[in-house]
Amino acid sequence: MSRPDTSGDDSQPDGSASTDTITHTDRDENSETNKQKDNRQSVSSRAEKADARKIVTGEAKYTADHVGSFQDIAEAAVVRSEIAHGVVTNIDTSAARQMDGVYAVITPDSPSVPDKPYTSAGQSYPEPSPLDLHVLRKRVRYVGDPIAAVAAEDAATARAAVQQVAVTYDEYDAVFDTEAAMDETAPQLHDRDDIENPQPGADYERNVEAHGEGEIGDVDAAFEAAATSDEMTVVETEWETPYQSHCVPEPHTTIAHLDENDRYHLVTSTQVPYHVRRQLAHLFDVPIRDVRVTKPQVGAGFGSKQSMVIEPITLALSLAAERPIKLEATRREEFHAMRLRRPSRTKVRSVVTDDGDLKALDMSVVTNSGAYGPHGMTAAGAVGKKPLPLYTHTPNIRFEMDAVHTNLPIAGAMRGYGAPQGHFAVEGHMDEVARELDVDPIEFRARNCIGEGDIDIASGILKEGEYGRRIRSCGLDECIKRGSDAIGWDEVDQPDAEHLHRACGMAIATQGSGIPGDELGAAHIKMNEDGSFILQTGAVDIGTGADTTMSQIAAEVLGSPPEDIIVQPSDTDISPFDYGAYASSTTYVTGQAVQQAALDAREQLFEFAADLLDEATDTLVARDGKVHSKETGQSVTLEEIGYASIYGDERRAQIMGEASHSTDESPPPFGAQFVDVTVDKRTGEFEVHDLVFAVDCGVAINPDLAEGQVTGAMHMSYELATGADLSFDDDGTPQTLGFRHYGMPRTSDQPALTPILVETHEPTGPFGAKSIAEIPTNAVPPALSNAIRRAVGVRINDLPITAEKIKTALDKQ
Amino acid sequence: MEIDLTLNGEAVTLPAARSDSLLDVLRQSGYTGAKRGCNTGDCGFCTVIVDGKPIKSCIEPAIRIDGSDVETIENLGNQDDLHPIQAAFVDNTALQCGFCIPGMIMRTKGLLEANPDPNDEEIRDALSGNLCRCTGYEKILDAVADAAGRMASETDLAADGGRIPDDKSCSGCDCYPRGDD
Repeated sequence: MSRPDTSGDDSQPDGSASTDTITHTDRDENSETNKQKDNRQSVSSRAEKADARKIVTGEAKYTADHVGSFQDIAEAAVVRSEIAHGVVTNIDTSAARQMDGVYAVITPDSPSVPDKPYTSAGQSYPEPSPLDLHVLRKRVRYVGDPIAAVAAEDAATARAAVQQVAVTYDEYDAVFDTEAAMDETAPQLHDRDDIENPQPGADYERNVEAHGEGEIGDVDAAFEAAATSDEMTVVETEWETPYQSHCVPEPHTTIAHLDENDRYHLVTSTQVPYHVRRQLAHLFDVPIRDVRVTKPQVGAGFGSKQSMVIEPITLALSLAAERPIKLEATRREEFHAMRLRRPSRTKVRSVVTDDGDLKALDMSVVTNSGAYGPHGMTAAGAVGKKPLPLYTHTPNIRFEMDAVHTNLPIAGAMRGYGAPQGHFAVEGHMDEVARELDVDPIEFRARNCIGEGDIDIASGILKEGEYGRRIRSCGLDECIKRGSDAIGWDEVDQPDAEHLHRACGMAIATQGSGIPGDELGAAHIKMNEDGSFILQTGAVDIGTGADTTMSQIAAEVLGSPPEDIIVQPSDTDISPFDYGAYASSTTYVTGQAVQQAALDAREQLFEFAADLLDEATDTLVARDGKVHSKETGQSVTLEEIGYASIYGDERRAQIMGEASHSTDESPPPFGAQFVDVTVDKRTGEFEVHDLVFAVDCGVAINPDLAEGQVTGAMHMSYELATGADLSFDDDGTPQTLGFRHYGMPRTSDQPALTPILVETHEPTGPFGAKSIAEIPTNAVPPALSNAIRRAVGVRINDLPITAEKIKTALDKQ
Repeated sequence: MEIDLTLNGEAVTLPAARSDSLLDVLRQSGYTGAKRGCNTGDCGFCTVIVDGKPIKSCIEPAIRIDGSDVETIENLGNQDDLHPIQAAFVDNTALQCGFCIPGMIMRTKGLLEANPDPNDEEIRDALSGNLCRCTGYEKILDAVADAAGRMASETDLAADGGRIPDDKSCSGCDCYPRGDD
């Protein structure tokens, strides 16, 4: 239903994109990657999650469960700032040091503590985030800044010692609101001379760490034209989102020690082992080869563990105490001293014709970075870059962003990465436009949204120069159709009671599949005698099932059952390089490395099979644990080939495949979120009956795991819509410090979640796959706000949506 | 100090500090299946069964366990021979990162021993003290219903059928109180 691409290849601004199109068209014709559903064996199967049995038996070992492997390991705890802004004038550690069982107390002046600035962001190199953090800090900028740390014989002693560290401060005025922070008279958090900041537009006098803007067409001219036209309408809206905690199940946990080779070895709950290795090497001024990062079982990340938050403190303590150290964040620390989703305020204006064509979109956002800058520009940029491609056909689009510091906790990366904030604004706005025109919100979107074959230019709105990307797969129309059927869009029965009003709301969504031009995944696969394989990738399975997905991709190529592909967990000494688990990249980027490595291994497999079968390699096919000849129907098992490759009489060579994959592509998945809600007009209380998300992630490598991503992300999105928010008292002290103060849905209040997988084929992805992990995080807030608007006529534009806010709005009606 | 308890069917004596919780003692003794997610009794990752009732071991003083009968995830099946609840979680893909799962399974065991045939609302109620961040609970709820079916058919098969004590109910345990959050 989307408009056809009328720009044509001639007007395609980026020449390289057309070249890519040709390349990928070639690849698409390859039956190897484009298999019909009934021809797939491992891909699209509901293969058992590789670690499922060790999880249900309690045998999966997370970082804290590795303590028993380290002799004389000490426990650690951190002294954190109790004021929001100021400078530490004295740290008296004498009482703590004298306690029995205390091994070390470190402060910013300790020799083992690096004093150079770094960023915790966990991004590629050179880091796009400002270098504005120190491992331990005398200049403190929020309640929670780490000042000192203690290592002791057990956790209770470490915590008691922390209480004995006496810190005195010189306190400064603080600022907690982004608008106030940008005022010239506001307290200034950072001095530009102290910070290496590669981000554009920083203005530290106004507490702005980054500013960016971009424009397509001429937005001002479009609004001027609209002002004098009877056939065009201008709609203006504002939106606000709060802090959200990842509520990561396993708190950040790190074990650091100097191993017997005198190398720094960390066992740590991270999403980015290789970035942690590099960042630590730079920070501690040692060669990268002297650092080893091992990722054990990880109790989820959602972006929180992309940040290198506690690893430097643990390593510094280990050097000071001269023994292995384990530091495990408390839940209290998770809620204020690790990382959070950044709050935002967004304004959207648009021009629309009476026929329902969008003529201009003007969006500006101010995000609250909190006290430091990791992910400041990139996450704020995503607020616009992620949702705007949905309406890329709008001829005039402008986006402006400011990332602003306040004396509040540090925002980092969180699942969705700015896109949830952006979708709330854009998709809430689109419903207001549809309402203004008195058209069905689905019809309005169908008229204006992106479709397969289109060129998207809006995702490049912050880029310099010409830009365009071809959308090679888009199942948005079918997502909308199947989602609206599932929710019962056209058949809402009103409750009998007069005060109850029921309605459905919807929103569409998109994301990326990795960071275009800024990813690398690599894979190595070797065959054992028994026909099984050991697959090494740097892909970081943090609970998503990435290891299982990778085994299915390799198995599809090699004709083996997925359980015969043993995937080794990420370890920087063993695994090939990988940028890590973020930006929805793993299946799309590392999956292609795995596919290519498996193809490399299969070529060698076929050479041995050709000898054994006395056939040419081009007649062979791998399937059902065997290599078959298409000519004669004869076959040889993978096990026979495995033994022959290693113990054969004439030729011996281990079958080993390897590949690296990097790409400028990042094909967007698409989805449609639906919400069914009943609102009590007397009280504002509401009940959500069902949350449906229909999603096009290309080919789902493992539908069970993909559905799990959808329901889990929708849960998180529902929380942002209704339960998130952190409260602070007047001096910036956090008040939300545990699950009982925070609205994470439980089984008793989580509405039913319905995932629908709409299959398309992405020609650039491994067996047609795109990403799935983040996109379902994006759209419950706008869909719910839109549903409430349709049910009772009021618009809630600041999250979380509460009965109180609805009641207040109803009273004003 | 030391505490004496029956742990997974065996009489054991474990060392404990006076301030230790049951979770501390279990983990220090190598029973790491129970996880620490909050240390305030709010997440349920540390759920174990004490004298037949699921409790949050992170807020249970070890000293109070002296003489008790404690069952942990380690007492259920192993990877080649899963307990029916474990098998239901595996077969329903009712897990992602897995950090909440041992507690979730022990909570389910407590529920099904008290109420072998729970309806959907009873399952949601019983699990409400156990958080999960990855799944949105959907597949977990499916797994618990499936586990009830598997346990029932297994009980039917058992000659003595006597593995479910009659005096088990949720009234005395610490199932998360509704509306308290």
